[in-house]
Amino acid sequence: MSETAPPPQSLPPHLRPWFYATKPTRWTRFWRTFLPWQLVRFAVINVKMMILIWRSHRGRKR
Amino acid sequence: MARIVVLGAGVAGHTAAAFLRRWLPNRDEVTVVSPMAEYNWIPSNIWVGVGLLKKRQVVFPLAPVYRRAGIDFRQARAVALWPEGDAQSATPAVEIEWTREDRRGEREKIRYDFLVNATGPKLNFEATPGLGPGKHSYSVCTADHAEETARAFLEEVERMRRGERRKFVVGVGHGACTCEGAAFEYIVNLEFELRAHGVRDRAEILYLTNEYELGDFGIDGVHIRRGGYITPSKIFHESLFAERGIDWLTRAHVRGVEAGRADVLTLDGEEREVRFDFAMLLPPFRGVDMKAYARDGADITDRIFAPNGFMKVDADYTAKPYEQWRARDWPRYYQSPAYENLFAAGIAFAPPHPISRLRTTADGMMISPAPPRTGMPSAMIGKAVAASIVDMLRGAKKPTHAASMAEMGAACVASAGANPFTGTAASITVFPIVPDYERYPEYGRDLNYTFGEIGLAGHWIKILLHHMFLYKARLRPGWWMIPE
Repeated sequence: MSETAPPPQSLPPHLRPWFYATKPTRWTRFWRTFLPWQLVRFAVINVKMMILIWRSHRGRKR
Repeated sequence: MARIVVLGAGVAGHTAAAFLRRWLPNRDEVTVVSPMAEYNWIPSNIWVGVGLLKKRQVVFPLAPVYRRAGIDFRQARAVALWPEGDAQSATPAVEIEWTREDRRGEREKIRYDFLVNATGPKLNFEATPGLGPGKHSYSVCTADHAEETARAFLEEVERMRRGERRKFVVGVGHGACTCEGAAFEYIVNLEFELRAHGVRDRAEILYLTNEYELGDFGIDGVHIRRGGYITPSKIFHESLFAERGIDWLTRAHVRGVEAGRADVLTLDGEEREVRFDFAMLLPPFRGVDMKAYARDGADITDRIFAPNGFMKVDADYTAKPYEQWRARDWPRYYQSPAYENLFAAGIAFAPPHPISRLRTTADGMMISPAPPRTGMPSAMIGKAVAASIVDMLRGAKKPTHAASMAEMGAACVASAGANPFTGTAASITVFPIVPDYERYPEYGRDLNYTFGEIGLAGHWIKILLHHMFLYKARLRPGWWMIPE
């Protein structure tokens, strides 16, 4: 059996498994916790979820 | 007068019992049988597991709630079903064994007119040698497990404060596990807390999963319209880990766990040793191993239960390849094909097949997620089963309320760090849960109702859901107005 633990953190980024993954920019990360924008998103996500719940409950009676 | 017995007081069983009590007249009796004295809001266990919440914040005693609601509660585990009755009576019965301290081990039979099996899963730690609390890894499946995990986690934090480097492995402890979503939530919360404790630079973190790609979650992944593209969940999941410096190993089956090491087999047949200082690995699930007997005492367990211990319902269990799986294979009414007064709800029903494509090693070892059926679908199934039973008691010949996972959506909020200003969570909706390629040929799902985003708003919603669903589970005034 080989010792194949993931590479230690001392390895440079291009040798880590996540080097090929998409990463958010600082701007994207900023919006994720920017209070006024997140208040808007809070409302939007709630509405979207309520629509989904309504649709899931709709027309289930035989 | 009718008696309806609900086995289990998790999300599905508790929902079914509460609605049965609400909809049925007082002359009808609703009995809940659960081996646990407390209700546990399991989605918040991940916060207990990193030391943010105490056990008492995610559990409450069931007996006073049921007493107030007029539900008969027996703290016991179901041992056997007698769906045709027994030598004493032709009325169906369930045999239970008490787990409450003053009556521990006592057995009795409860006669029923309808029975809802919502026993949830047996946490099958035995499937992997060395896996689980008391052995070499931790779990967040129960509040007690989560508290023990938190103690170990905080000890690791103390070691890192003293300058030690530590390695954390989080994921699933078997190739056939489900609930990858819980492992995902735990690992990103663990990473967030390591940052909050100021020791992130001394930690290596690895996500170990049986998923073929990240973002599968046992539902074959999802596709989301975002940024001008239709993007698979793999991209988002990898991005979240890349952003946080979390490594991952996919397509992995844990064959055994020893102190500080896991023996892992990957789908391509490679054997690996993964070393760790702290491991939180979820177990695979199976049914609770109830037996079933005919009136003459003959064993009819295989008529009612699948070999994995889950209960057979109105699904199409014909074995067929992935290409032939259909949305209509999934059950709609959760009624036993053998006995019309027997239903299963939540994790207790046997799914017809997985949702994610089955994959096996060259030697035939299955490394593929089992289908999740927790949270919102569990509650909706519990409610639909309750509604059908009420209608059947009023004269309906067949169950009347459907809740197919191929016709319902799910909303999921996965915490990615708990802080009211800097925390985030991934808010995800999927419609339907089981892809329907006949209705939605390209992706199997309606992309107008399938979306996901990460942000602070998601964390606020997660907090809101925690309080709202605990309020609902306590059956406080107006509880029934809170949607499942």
